Amino acid sequence: MTMTAIPYADTEAPDVLVERQSRSGRVAMTLAVLGLIGLAVMPWWASTGTIRSVLELCCYIAVAQMWNLLAGYAGLVSVGQQAFMGAAGYALFVLAQTYGINPFVAIFLSLLVPAVLAVPIYFLLHRLDGPYFSIGTWVVAEVFRLTASNMPIVNSGAGMSLRVMKDFSSFERNVAMSLLCAFMLLVTLGGSYWLLRSRFGLALIAMRDNPIAAASQGVNVAKLRFLIYVAAAVGCGLAGSIYFMAQLRITPGSAFDPMWANVAIFIVMIGGIGSIEGVLIGSLIYFIADRWFGEYGATYFVVLGLMTLLVALYARTGIWGLVSKRWDAPWFPIRRKLVHRKL
Amino acid sequence: MDREILLKARGVSKSFGAIRVLHEVSFDVARGEVLGILGPNGAGKTTLFNMISGDMKVSGGEIQLGGTMLRGEPPFRRCQMGIGRTYQIPRPYSGMTTFENLLVAAAFGGGRSEKRSYAFCAEVLRDCELIDKANASAGALTLLDRKRLELARALASDPKLLLLDEIAGGLTDDESKALVALVRRIRDRGVTIVWIEHVLHALLAVADRLMVLNFGEKIAEGLPAEVIALPEVRRVYMGIEG
Repeated sequence: MTMTAIPYADTEAPDVLVERQSRSGRVAMTLAVLGLIGLAVMPWWASTGTIRSVLELCCYIAVAQMWNLLAGYAGLVSVGQQAFMGAAGYALFVLAQTYGINPFVAIFLSLLVPAVLAVPIYFLLHRLDGPYFSIGTWVVAEVFRLTASNMPIVNSGAGMSLRVMKDFSSFERNVAMSLLCAFMLLVTLGGSYWLLRSRFGLALIAMRDNPIAAASQGVNVAKLRFLIYVAAAVGCGLAGSIYFMAQLRITPGSAFDPMWANVAIFIVMIGGIGSIEGVLIGSLIYFIADRWFGEYGATYFVVLGLMTLLVALYARTGIWGLVSKRWDAPWFPIRRKLVHRKL
Repeated sequence: MDREILLKARGVSKSFGAIRVLHEVSFDVARGEVLGILGPNGAGKTTLFNMISGDMKVSGGEIQLGGTMLRGEPPFRRCQMGIGRTYQIPRPYSGMTTFENLLVAAAFGGGRSEKRSYAFCAEVLRDCELIDKANASAGALTLLDRKRLELARALASDPKLLLLDEIAGGLTDDESKALVALVRRIRDRGVTIVWIEHVLHALLAVADRLMVLNFGEKIAEGLPAEVIALPEVRRVYMGIEG
C-alpha cells in the first residue's frame, strides 16, 4: 500500500532490535542437527531391527506434527489423515511394482497423489464445522479403504507386496531407509519450524488464537487453512510411503488404519498441542509405551485412553505446556522479542 | 462539507430472516473526520460495523470506501483496503506477545515485510502506551491494556478508516481520559474514525459529528451539541422525557 495513514518519519522510528533465538534454542538446534546426521548414518551404528524401530518412531513424529499443524494451528481436527498415508503408500507400490519405476524415485512421485487428492477433498469438507469436519475426514478415509479393496490395479482386498526391493541389498535398503528418515523429519519438523518462524508463522498463530480477529487484520484465513490441509496431506503421504516401503507390504486394512489418527491425537494431546516440542515428547512417550506395554493388549489401550482423557481434562496444554510454564527455555523458539530500543 | 468523502453509506439495510436489524441507513464520513455513533443496545450499531468491515453482508443498500464500491470482499481484503476495526469484546491473540499481536496486523493488513514491521510496531506500541508490555503475553493484559491493544493492533494495519466499537466501556474515568487522548492523537495523524460509544463524555470529547440509531433507523445526525439537545435523542437515548 502506498498511502500510509499514519506517517511516521524514518527519524522518528525507534531503534529496535528483535531477538529470535535463545540459548536453549541454539543448544536444541545443535542437538537436532546432530540427531539428523545420526539418523542419516544409522547403517553404520545400528542394526536392521533398530533402524526399523527408529523408522516407525520417525513416522509417528511426522504424522503427529502434521496433525498438530492441522488441529493445533488451522483448527482442522482431522481423524482421517490415514487416507493420504495409504493413498501415497499405494501409489508407491503401483509405481514401483506395477510400472517398474525405481522405488526411491517412486517415493517422491507418490507424493503427488495426496497433494492432488487433498484439493477436492478439502473443498468438499471445509464447509463442515468442528466435529462434522472430523467425521467427514474419517468417512473419506473409509471410502478410500473401500475403494482400494475393490480396485483391481491395487490387487483389491488382497493387497500388494513390494518385491522389487529384493533388487537391493540389505545394506543398501538400510542406507535408503536411514536417509529417508532424516529427510522426513527435516521436511515435517524442520519445515514446520521454518514456517512458524516465517512471516506466515505470525498468521498461523493469530489464526489459532482468534480466526475472526486474524481475518480483520488482513490474514486470509481460508487460504491458509487450505494450504495447511494440502501440506499436511503431503507430509502424511511421505510418512505413509516410507512406512509401507519398510513394511514391504500394503493392504487396504493397513494402509487406511485409523490407528494412525489415534496415535497422532494421543501424541499431540499428551505432548502439548501447538508446539513442536510437544510432538517430540509425545512421540517418545508413545513409542516407549508401545514397546514396553504393547504386550498387554486391550488393557494397554485403556491406559493410553485414560491418559489422554486426564490430560484433556486437567492439563490442556500437555506436558510441554506444563514445562514451558515453569521454564522459559523453548527448544524451537518462535517468539519475536523486542529487546532494544532508544526512545 | 467540502472535504473529500471517505466512507459513504446509502440505504444500508440488514435483516436476519424476518427480523430487521438495520433499515435504510445513509451517511457520509469525510476524510479526517470523527463520526460518533450513539444508540441504545440493539440499535444495529455493531451490525453496521460488521457490514463495513465485511464480517457480514448487506441485505440492501451500498457502501463505498474512497469512491470504490464495496462488494463481496471478505474481511481480510477490506483490512488491506484500509478499513481497521476493533471489537467490542477484545479479541487478542492470547498465545502471542503484545508486540507479536501488532506484527500480524502490520505484516498482513499493512502489507509490510516482517523486518520493516518491527520499528513501526514499536512506534505504535509507544504511542498507545503499551511499549513496556511489548513482550508480555497478550492474554495476561488488564482490561485497559486489552482495549489499547485492540486499538494498537487496528492502527498497525495502517487504516485509512478506523472503526472503534465501544473501546471506553468498562473503564474508569481516568482510564477513559487516557483513551480519549489517544484517539485524539490518532485523529491528528489524519486517520478517519467512526466510533460507537456509550460513554458519552468520551465521545463528545473527540467526535466532530454524531449519528444516532434507534431500532435500526437513523433518527438524528449533526453536530454533537445539536444532536444531544434534540428531544427525540434525549428521550430514546438518555431516557429523559419531555
